[in-house]
Amino acid sequence: MHIYISGAATTKFGELWGVSPRQLAGEAVSKALKNAGTDSRRIEALFVGNMLSGILGGQEHLGAFFAEELGIRAPACKIEGACASGGLALHNAVNSVLSGQYNTVVVLGVEKMTDHKPEDVATALMGAGSEEERAAGATFPGLYAILACAHMKAYGTTREELAAVAVKNHYHASLNPNAQFHTRLTIDQVMKSSRIADPLRLLDCSPISDGASAIVVTSKKSTRGIIVAASCVATDSLGLARRKSLTELAATKEAGKKAYAIAGVAPRDIDAAEVHDCFTIAEILAMEDLGFFPKGKAAGAIAAGETSLGTSGRLIVNPSGGLKGCGHPVGATGVKQVVEIVEQLRGRAGARQADHAKVGLAHNVGGSGATAVVHILKK
Amino acid sequence: MNSPVKIWRNQKHIAHMLGREGTIVSWTIIRLPPSGFSNLAPYPVVIVDLSDSRITAQLVDWSEEDLTEGRRVKIVVRRISEPTTEGIIPYGIKVKPI
Repeated sequence: MHIYISGAATTKFGELWGVSPRQLAGEAVSKALKNAGTDSRRIEALFVGNMLSGILGGQEHLGAFFAEELGIRAPACKIEGACASGGLALHNAVNSVLSGQYNTVVVLGVEKMTDHKPEDVATALMGAGSEEERAAGATFPGLYAILACAHMKAYGTTREELAAVAVKNHYHASLNPNAQFHTRLTIDQVMKSSRIADPLRLLDCSPISDGASAIVVTSKKSTRGIIVAASCVATDSLGLARRKSLTELAATKEAGKKAYAIAGVAPRDIDAAEVHDCFTIAEILAMEDLGFFPKGKAAGAIAAGETSLGTSGRLIVNPSGGLKGCGHPVGATGVKQVVEIVEQLRGRAGARQADHAKVGLAHNVGGSGATAVVHILKK
Repeated sequence: MNSPVKIWRNQKHIAHMLGREGTIVSWTIIRLPPSGFSNLAPYPVVIVDLSDSRITAQLVDWSEEDLTEGRRVKIVVRRISEPTTEGIIPYGIKVKPI
């Protein structure tokens, strides 16, 4: 039995002060339903991916909250897994259709972050870490900086190579009308931006964003349907201190390995990938842990343009601009990544289209790697 | 969120950890701190290998040259962050070079 994505859409990501979470959700879902050629009365369940609405906005019970807004009279719930909430919501939606309980369901990823003070958002995001990390005064840039420090020591990864990830993803974002940033960067600009958590600087970090994305998942075959060839999740320790290695994310490796086996594909078969680049070092780790490059070799390859639009022989990584360029409304990100891959496989990605894309991968991470979700899609 | 009962429950853990020694494995220097930590920044956060386990902790009484792999540190008790709005002064574990 195949599971299909029949509709996929996203709002613009950015600092959207004039728009409420209800409006974001309404726009994303109505576009996705239209894209699928269906309407809200045919939706049998709603899965909402969100992380911060409770702690920042005081609003929980998001299944009912958004079902009411969207006019969906069906079972509805929120799925939370920090920045992997969107990917996890899709995973649960796919499983619900695979089980035979529902035929057609909607996944909504949504987050409203820019209404709040940056230090409050940073503190709220640390809810995804361990109590020990919070007591140490760590931040998420800080945790990834610890991974970057270890990776630089082990493999000689350079500051310039980290910067090259941001430069590539801003270039891709400049071709994406829905991206938060359309400004192109230089290595020098990244290297001279203000220090956040050594060795990471401001332009190594994905931004605080608002946005929503939605997907229609169905068991019904259609000409426009994109096949969900694999939907896999893996879990690791919540905090960094209990990890065996600080130069890889074991959850990414495990989820990727499972997904390749189920989909019957290898990393070399992937034409377009959206990977979780919350910080520049995270894309380097992802490229290695997903098997695209041997350990220690990804940073140089990215800097050499081997995964960029226009210079790559085949694989394009983060054509949407990634979290760095497109923006990172945390609950929406995992859903947006899949929306981007659907557009790539349909050949509808416009200026950022990867040539002859037939197989795509989306990789979504929660926290500093405690949760990893990998989806593989086929035409 | 801190509460008196949570701090009370944590006392045994703190007593068990105090005085233990280990070595620095990896580190960062936090320049943009979360709420409650602004009067401490910039400060290092380090992963410490205690031989049977590892912890993530803030490094105190530090200088740049302490930030190297293998630097020996000891667990000490320190004020964790600024007092909360409930008036609780949170104490806990940090590490210092030895």
